[in-house]
Amino acid sequence: MTHALSTSFVTRVPGWPRNVAAIALFALFVPAIASAQGDGPRTYWKGLSGTNVIPVIYTTISGNTNPFDPSHTVNADGNISATLMLAGFAKVTAVGDRAASVQVLFPMGSLSGEAVVDGKTYGQSAGGFGDPMLQVGLNVVGPKAMKALPDLLRYEPRFSIDLIGSLAVPIGEYHSDQPLNIGQNRWYGRIGAPVVYQIGNWAPERRTTLEFLPAIWFFGANNDFVGQTMENDVLFQLEGHLTHNFTKSFWGSLDAAWYSGGKATIDGVAGAKLNNAGLSFTAGYMINDNTQLTVGFGSTLGDNKPEDLRLSQFRVTLIYGWHSLVEGVKRLGGN
Amino acid sequence: MNWLVTMLGIVGATAFLGGPAAAAAQDAPRRPNIVIILGDDLGYSDMGVFGSEIRTPNLDSLAKDGVRFTSFYTHATCSPTRSMLLSGVDTHINGLGNMDEWAAPNQFGVPGYEGDLNDRVATLPALLKDAGYHTYMVGKWHLGKAPDRIPAARGFERDFSLLDGGGSYWDMMSFTALSPRSLFTEDGRYLTKLPKDYYATKTYTDKLISFIDANKGDGKPFFAYVAHQAPHDPFHLPKDWRDRHVGQYDRGWDVLRKERLSRQIELGVVPKGTSLAERMWFLPDPFVLAPATRAVFGRKMELYAGMVENMDFHVGRLIDHLKKIGEYENTIFIVFGDNGAEGADLFGMIAGAPGTRDFLFAAMNWSKTDPKSWGEPGSYPSYGPAWAQVSMTPFSQYKGMTTEGGIRNALIVSGPVVKRPKGSINGGFMHVADIMPTLLEVAGTAYPKAHNGHDLPPLIGKSWMTVLAGRAESPRTDQDYMGWEIFGNRALRQGDWKLRWQWKPYGTGDWELYNLASDPVERTNLAAQNPDKLKALLALWDEYANANNVIIPSRSMFESADDKLPQRFPDDAGYPPIMYHGQFVPPAALIKK
Repeated sequence: MTHALSTSFVTRVPGWPRNVAAIALFALFVPAIASAQGDGPRTYWKGLSGTNVIPVIYTTISGNTNPFDPSHTVNADGNISATLMLAGFAKVTAVGDRAASVQVLFPMGSLSGEAVVDGKTYGQSAGGFGDPMLQVGLNVVGPKAMKALPDLLRYEPRFSIDLIGSLAVPIGEYHSDQPLNIGQNRWYGRIGAPVVYQIGNWAPERRTTLEFLPAIWFFGANNDFVGQTMENDVLFQLEGHLTHNFTKSFWGSLDAAWYSGGKATIDGVAGAKLNNAGLSFTAGYMINDNTQLTVGFGSTLGDNKPEDLRLSQFRVTLIYGWHSLVEGVKRLGGN
Repeated sequence: MNWLVTMLGIVGATAFLGGPAAAAAQDAPRRPNIVIILGDDLGYSDMGVFGSEIRTPNLDSLAKDGVRFTSFYTHATCSPTRSMLLSGVDTHINGLGNMDEWAAPNQFGVPGYEGDLNDRVATLPALLKDAGYHTYMVGKWHLGKAPDRIPAARGFERDFSLLDGGGSYWDMMSFTALSPRSLFTEDGRYLTKLPKDYYATKTYTDKLISFIDANKGDGKPFFAYVAHQAPHDPFHLPKDWRDRHVGQYDRGWDVLRKERLSRQIELGVVPKGTSLAERMWFLPDPFVLAPATRAVFGRKMELYAGMVENMDFHVGRLIDHLKKIGEYENTIFIVFGDNGAEGADLFGMIAGAPGTRDFLFAAMNWSKTDPKSWGEPGSYPSYGPAWAQVSMTPFSQYKGMTTEGGIRNALIVSGPVVKRPKGSINGGFMHVADIMPTLLEVAGTAYPKAHNGHDLPPLIGKSWMTVLAGRAESPRTDQDYMGWEIFGNRALRQGDWKLRWQWKPYGTGDWELYNLASDPVERTNLAAQNPDKLKALLALWDEYANANNVIIPSRSMFESADDKLPQRFPDDAGYPPIMYHGQFVPPAALIKK
């Protein structure tokens, strides 16, 4: 073959450091607490320890349940529309050799519609701040935590399992005289075990994953639900995602979710338990090394009966991530 | 005439292989098969038996069954080496006076500078075929693309060949907009598509095995030229071969060179006391690099190691097959790399600058630059000068240069003609052009005076048979010499002395003189201290140049090197100290509480 001169060495490393910053952004732990899509695709990919993430999620939702309430208690014949916004902060860290994360998410927004409680129809609207949710996650199976840039460069999820725990703090805006609220006036949370399975090569332009999130939601009692007590059984939620990169920056996902349980009991009168599924599509685009935009639409399936969960949503997520080391490299203008 | 040569050859071979021909006619062993395994850009120290940490058990097994040669010379780039291998004639006569890609204006149209293996030379496969051998070729040809220059026209009975100098290992993708598809031939026919599940190294091996099997049992020996594309960049590699050395090379090139040198001394490949050649002056000490930078560069070497190991695996398949069909014991293996390891940024050169046609082509077809994509179709990983120097441990520089790191390579010969102790090492002065006379002797044939109506130029090599038989340490006397010239870089070796001229700043832009016995890594230019020796070797250079019509190119890829590369300074270890000073830790007793 031919022969050429090598005049620049360190500065001509393909993929460096752009891919470093880009991968760091995948360290996102963004539970969408009121989403037909669940937490969403690519939520449990790992990032460099020390990465900071701010997600901002905008969702419009319509259906027969309060989207701010993850128990998805069905209001048969109800018709509720909501505009939901979530903002949060997540920090990627490590516990020993395992990747870990801590995050907090603040829901806010407005909703309006009709709800039927004890035979009485309420037509109302609500707005304000919801219940903030705290979540911690710990990887238990899969690659070790990425504590240094070489770990990040070599990261492939292969097969990973995390354990997560979420807890919502009932300090959101709540009015006991109306059934539809932003805050839920009760403690609730979940435990889950997100799974990421890598399919094929990890080349950025063709990454493919199959992801699952089995989770169980627990709900405390709301002792002042329009003057009554509302309780919910535990709710089992399973969401799945088949994700694929079409280019290095653009990816898509086919998402499915299944809900079972969560039967609501209001003042001793039990409702129906959920057994519903949803399907959605998500497209994601890396705007730059720090910013990712995703757009998704999802809807429940087989929701013709009044007692079926009926939920349709359009969701836009903007995620900004940074790591002090990568930002420092950028400030120096270096490659 | 050919039948007579063949018959004479058979008789001669029988005599050579032991015993009067007439008496041994019934019992005479069949002439040996010959397999030449060429690693493209394979470095001197890349095989385990030459000091590598890369695992090459199959190539090592050939060395342990045969003999290693530590002073074997090729040319500084691939097609000139291949031309001498297959013709036994100097490059400036056989058509590769310059690489086709770099012929200079003053060389245009000059016989000997055609850029392909011209028809004024006879080829080794043609002569072996005439002598009754089956002749097979698989792999990279790079000696011409015209119908009268392809392997089938140059003596190969069966072939599956990449005609270009490189390309994708996965498909027919080539490098430039004007030549977007690699050219392949199979049995003399140009291909429009490749076999299903094509991967170069695997497919070449599959094809060769099928060629061998097709004629198995007909009583004729075979000559197989296995010109692997591997480990030439791009480092295209099946996924399961990519991650066998993860993190191993993060320690950087200096550590790896030291480790390889240490093993080479232990193995006896180089004598005790051998030092390392200077690190290229524009390369950093990896000690100063950030861990991530070392990881990225290390990844390149991880892939290169995978390329070599994958090639070794397929060589193992061939060896196993020959054992299975009972031909291994009667097969001569000759293994070497075609030139120094590749230290240049070929892709940077191929892709050109933004706004050019080739840049656009590269953007469309070769732009998978993320390390996670390396090895995939559309990626072009290569390892650069730092790792090329590791591959050429302990020598100076790499491919394209007439330093030892450009032209000296590892050689293994095994098989029935080797009578030296198994696993032994020899330091005799050997040259790639020696292979032609050696194998003609093995086949019991002779180099003809004319071929296809052309008077043939003389062979420049010397048969190795006395060396392989253990009756001599070198095919050359101290008075014999060999010369090299490519891109204007020149060298001549006679005995322990080496004369060298290289473009600045790779060289001084003047003649330099080295004693390879005391300074095999060419650190100390003795030209000023030994004017008589310099003068004597310059006279030999003139003799060589005149005899072989050497035309120093009026243009060269190195003509602007001195302007583009950083100013050259010595690579004094530990300089400047500021780069190596750690945090001062005061005595605990003096620390203010």
